[in-house]
Amino acid sequence: MSRKKKKTLGPIGTATGLFLLSAFAVACACLAILGVKLSNAPVLQVEPLIPLAVYAVGVPLILLWLKLSGWKGDAGLVGAVFLLCGIGLVIQFRMGSFSQGLAKPAAMLPLPLGLAAFMVGTLLTGKGRGAWLAKAGWMAYLAALGVLGAMLLLGRSFRGGTYLAGNLNPSEIVKPLLVLFLASYLSRHQKAFSETQKGIPVPPLRVLWGLVALWAIPMLMTIALKDLGLMALLNAVLIVMLFAIARSTGYLAIGLAAVAAAGFGVQLISANARTRFDVWLNPFADPTGKGWQILQALAAMYSGGLWGAGLGAGVPQSVPIVTSDFVYAAVAEEIGLVGCALLLMVYATLFSRGLRAAGATKTPFERLLCVGLTASLATQTILNVAGVTKALPMTGITLPLISHGGSSLITTLLIAGMLTGLSDRK
Amino acid sequence: MLERLMNLLNSDVGPDLLRALKIVFLAVLAVASFGILYAPTVKPGKVTSYGLLRILFAGALFAVLVYQATWQIWGYTNPDFVKFMRRYNRRPDAAEKQVMRGPLLDRRGMVLAAPVVGDVWGRRYPLGAAAAHPLGYYHSTYGITAVERVCDPTLSGYAIDKRDEALGKMLFTQRAAEGEAVTLTLDQRLQQKAYELLAGRKGAVVVMRPRSGALLALVSSPGFDPLNPAEAIRDEENTPAFNRAVQGRYPPGSTFKILLAALAIEKGLPQVYACPGQGYVAGPGTPPIRDSEYYAYQRKGAVWPGWGRIGLKDATVHSSNVYFAQLGVASGTKAFNDMMTKARIREPLTYLRASGGELKSARGHVPEVTKARSTALLAIGQGELLTTPLHVACFTAAVAADGRMMRPRLCQAEPIEEMSRLCNVKTAEQLRAILREAVSRGTGKGVDLPGLNVCGKTGTAQAPGGEDHAWFTCFAPQRKPNIVVTVLVERGGFGAKAALPVARALLQEADRLGYVRIAEEATP
Repeated sequence: MSRKKKKTLGPIGTATGLFLLSAFAVACACLAILGVKLSNAPVLQVEPLIPLAVYAVGVPLILLWLKLSGWKGDAGLVGAVFLLCGIGLVIQFRMGSFSQGLAKPAAMLPLPLGLAAFMVGTLLTGKGRGAWLAKAGWMAYLAALGVLGAMLLLGRSFRGGTYLAGNLNPSEIVKPLLVLFLASYLSRHQKAFSETQKGIPVPPLRVLWGLVALWAIPMLMTIALKDLGLMALLNAVLIVMLFAIARSTGYLAIGLAAVAAAGFGVQLISANARTRFDVWLNPFADPTGKGWQILQALAAMYSGGLWGAGLGAGVPQSVPIVTSDFVYAAVAEEIGLVGCALLLMVYATLFSRGLRAAGATKTPFERLLCVGLTASLATQTILNVAGVTKALPMTGITLPLISHGGSSLITTLLIAGMLTGLSDRK
Repeated sequence: MLERLMNLLNSDVGPDLLRALKIVFLAVLAVASFGILYAPTVKPGKVTSYGLLRILFAGALFAVLVYQATWQIWGYTNPDFVKFMRRYNRRPDAAEKQVMRGPLLDRRGMVLAAPVVGDVWGRRYPLGAAAAHPLGYYHSTYGITAVERVCDPTLSGYAIDKRDEALGKMLFTQRAAEGEAVTLTLDQRLQQKAYELLAGRKGAVVVMRPRSGALLALVSSPGFDPLNPAEAIRDEENTPAFNRAVQGRYPPGSTFKILLAALAIEKGLPQVYACPGQGYVAGPGTPPIRDSEYYAYQRKGAVWPGWGRIGLKDATVHSSNVYFAQLGVASGTKAFNDMMTKARIREPLTYLRASGGELKSARGHVPEVTKARSTALLAIGQGELLTTPLHVACFTAAVAADGRMMRPRLCQAEPIEEMSRLCNVKTAEQLRAILREAVSRGTGKGVDLPGLNVCGKTGTAQAPGGEDHAWFTCFAPQRKPNIVVTVLVERGGFGAKAALPVARALLQEADRLGYVRIAEEATP
């Protein structure tokens, strides 16, 4: 009897249940944070709570809209996205990112815009509409070049990154654009890239050179922008997509070797990369200078321990730029290793569901698009978390859905929306 | 309303409320996460479901999490990291700043190092320079060294002892317990006495228990003030910060003959050799090896007639180079090399294994011999041969402990371990009798204290660029030895003259304290 009931719950029902649990967790976290704030001063600011209200109202509306449009995709995927999104909001709320309230729209707007982007993504790819996007491959390519070009011409440097006016960092959008292009290009040459000899991929030179030439332009632009993190991420996505289309582990092996070689080469050329490499090898060589940020991050984690200091009860402000690249250190301090394990599990589930959805799509293009978008999120997460824990050198990449940063959140939710749409097979 | 809430939160229940919220949050987060993990998924595709990629992504995240745990949970095991947090952690109630560092105690519970109330970096060392080398220093600028360093997790209260509740305490609250005391095997009185006896000369003293490996004194001279190591670190002429007892490498001279004698007895080698006054030439092109008497006679304008045909006992008593050079050649390369391995000459000796790592001596040096004649020079403790005072003390202790070479140890809590078997019980017994005679009627006469039955061997090691290094290594009493004393005086000249009086005074002191005639407390 009960089993039957479970079956009738349906994807939307499950997603709603998961969202309610997530919202409950977020509410507990909020209360804890408010409790710590209140124990210091009897003041309650309402405006910083607005993004949380937007979350509490906006997500159910999206779920309702999905229900009405007859969506039958992967509930775990949607649940993971909104749980992570909620945790991100609560951490940003705790770090005071919304403390200026409506006076600083740059902090308040990303969430509603992101939720809208999520719907746009779902609309674009849902119900098999994704196949149509293959025609937009070249447009996406040119748009990506345009964005990178604009940043080269108009951007100004700030803390090692490049930003447009209003601290806008549109390079985030380059990721889905180039994934779209790659999916369309690679799926058109699927046969060529699938050719292997004894496990070693041997695509015809004409097609290979075409890809190399097309790929070199954005890569050179990212080098000119000194955005090595973006470059690393895009290349990782390319490798995963090549692997996905050829289904030959040869691409993975070649790719890993290429990444290691490129990483080593880059630190020989770029002084900035070299510093990051040295800090990674031995942060204690210059603990108060170059090693300061990563060591403070590790100290924050240590003081969090297994169960964490409790939300609002830690002192993660001691880590420089903790709200964006190093947000994971704040998370680790306040929710502990146990909380981090749960969070990483949710990320892993999200990627796993993305790839399952890819396997279930109808056309090679959609499959590649789905794999590429998932790989982009996965690589970003792995590079960020590994960087903050000193498992790998820092790459200056944000943590999807949790780091502070408008364009990052909007783009990630757009990608999440596209995955949500792709997981729905008519 | 808000103020009433604030008062509530600041009252006794406040922390409990917040803790409850934290637990509920983690619990709900766990339920939600597992809900997401087990939520029904789309039907797998016909082409593929990318199992490899899914494992790759999840595996990478898991690997990062494990690495994260090495900082988040086990960060205290990294002394550099703990040091960083002590100095730069801005968290006001950070545990690593509050813990009162535990004291270092000697075997009787006397204080060797104690904390200073109200000063995180404060430390009090009652013995001062006398024990600065084994204990090390704990300094905000110059860092943490020696015992202070490898026992740091325990002293700082970060060590997790899996056997007691500290593990649970640590995991659940992340508040470190009080810093714990560490009890060393040293005896503060012997340490002080040995340091005084060296009287500022460059040298080292090792006093140990032969059957348990417990170090009663580990002295290096000149000493330095552990509260102000700066000067000692910069002094490159006298290198007072250098621990000569474990890091100093010296040719062992005639003390090395103990190993050759053990080899000869154990292998049943021919034990009678002619020892002509002119010396012994091992092979074409090698200079003759002579006894010291040859030069003594030469200075008087006389000619040394030699010892004639003598056995192992007389040769050891007279410390005859001519004899041992021949014995070395007779032993053959394999037996010689085996002996070097058994005596652990080439290895660093671990003399402290603690929560934060190990303390090791320097390696000794002895070439792997391939020609029998090259053993001639090595057999008399010269040539390409270097040992630390700790190495010499350890092989002396092995003879005292019936051939069992015990790992030296500095901490009472360390288990007693056998490093290797130098020789069998019978050999050790015979060798002790020979070494007894070397004291009663030989070069070590000066140390023959009545009633103690001291056995020992002097050593005078030639070293380039100055006077000889003076050695004396001994144990007592002969039948069931309870104490080993090894003394090295750099550039001290004749072993019996410079090193022996130090050993004699130390043995007297040790006897007064009950270490010689009363049996060793713990034996395996």
